[in-house]
Amino acid sequence: MLGFLIGEAVRDLRRAGRVAVSAVVLITLSLAALGGFWLLSLNLERAVARWRERVRVIVYLKREPAPSEAKALVERVREVPGVAGVLYISKTDALTSLKQLLGKDASVVAQLPANPLPASLEVTPAAAAATPEGARALLERLSALPEADEVTGSVDWVERLSQWQRLLTTIGLGIGVVLAVAALLTVTTATTLILHARRQETEIMRLVGASEMTIRLPLLLQGMLQGLTGAVIALAALVATHSVVAPRLEPLVNITLDLPQLAFLSPINVLALVLAGALLGGLGGWLARAKS
Amino acid sequence: MPAMIEVVRVWKVYSVGPVKVPALSDVCLRITKGEFVVLTGPSGAGKTTLLRLLYRDDLPTEGDIQVLGYDLGRLRQGEVAALRRSIGVVFQDAKLLPVRTVYENVAFVLRVLGTPRREITQRVFDALRVVGLSSRAQAYPAQLSQGEAQRASLARAIVRKPPLLLADEPTGNLDQAMEAEILDVLRDIWAGGTTVVLATHRADLARMLRRRTITLGSGRVVKDEG
Repeated sequence: MLGFLIGEAVRDLRRAGRVAVSAVVLITLSLAALGGFWLLSLNLERAVARWRERVRVIVYLKREPAPSEAKALVERVREVPGVAGVLYISKTDALTSLKQLLGKDASVVAQLPANPLPASLEVTPAAAAATPEGARALLERLSALPEADEVTGSVDWVERLSQWQRLLTTIGLGIGVVLAVAALLTVTTATTLILHARRQETEIMRLVGASEMTIRLPLLLQGMLQGLTGAVIALAALVATHSVVAPRLEPLVNITLDLPQLAFLSPINVLALVLAGALLGGLGGWLARAKS
Repeated sequence: MPAMIEVVRVWKVYSVGPVKVPALSDVCLRITKGEFVVLTGPSGAGKTTLLRLLYRDDLPTEGDIQVLGYDLGRLRQGEVAALRRSIGVVFQDAKLLPVRTVYENVAFVLRVLGTPRREITQRVFDALRVVGLSSRAQAYPAQLSQGEAQRASLARAIVRKPPLLLADEPTGNLDQAMEAEILDVLRDIWAGGTTVVLATHRADLARMLRRRTITLGSGRVVKDEG
């Protein structure tokens, strides 16, 4: 029976001809747009997540504490709300880091009469403090420490990146929805034509006592077939574009966003796109049937 | 004998704007299992309306109809389908699907009803043999004569072996030779145990068949003889 129903759906698609092809093209475009923006958004989200992990707040201390005081200070700062981790950097540690940073020019440090670098605390914010508001509150709390001379650090630019990512997702969804509505209308038109073309079959089916499900299912299936075809073509286009564009963009993205690889959609994302295609087509078929 | 069809005081009135036009007026009839009944009368007498009521394509304005034990006034959608699975219907126009062969047209009915594939071929060729169309199984409707098309339509109606066959002017478009072929086929189907109700406007055809003849006139049963 299922074979018969699918056979009828395929026969119907052939009947719809160019209109069915237009519907498939529109579904392909809408899902490709949706998938493309999803891909961009996904990679920006990865960059944001990486940068959020690297955000640090530095508390420069007025004077270098004794080792026992330093330990107590670290413990005290660790209790401050919004703090995930604290690392104490003594004046000596800071100078060593500077020397490493200077590399072959490290000898200039030896010319200094004394170590000018202050001791500091490197604070890793908790996830809740990795937002602009959270970070500002954390900075205020750390500035209130009597030992603190100056507190630096901000997550503003990470947040801006995050906003871009959200904007891209919204634009992608917007374009995808507009194209999806166009695709839906085209599938509905194709199905209406099919309904007209298969009115004799429908009449005979009713006459011989076919169930309403048997009469309606081919319409739903042909819509779903259009949707699935569109989704598969859209995915193929996305895979091809990704495989061509990603290797060329990765060096640039690595430098600017510190993202070594541009990832493709996950299997769940791919499944969601395929299901969206089937749903879009099936809905078009169902709407045409409801209209009839 | 138990009644296969029982029509009790049935009225069918169509509204044409404010005007009420009665197509059937107080019709009563009873057809038992195994009968061959000719329903005759001039055009507009109500033959087609009565047949449409029998396969529940329409409902009477008043009165009760029982067919194969179903009370047609109280059927749900699923029961209408069940009723129709027990009735074969043929029309003046063969209503064959033009893009399918004779075999596919007949098999279509079985496939729609979910008959297992292995049974379909056997049953389609059995039906085509009854109507004498086995050799034309692969022909398309456009390649058939009108008589062959009507025989294909009969094969489609009987392929499910329904206990009741309703034929609405099946010879209306045919010449005399083809008409005789179709009547022979209908007699063969009846001889196989199927109850047949044949509607025709041709009184001479009814006389020629020498079967029970119910004559309708202006929507009323005016004669029931034989």
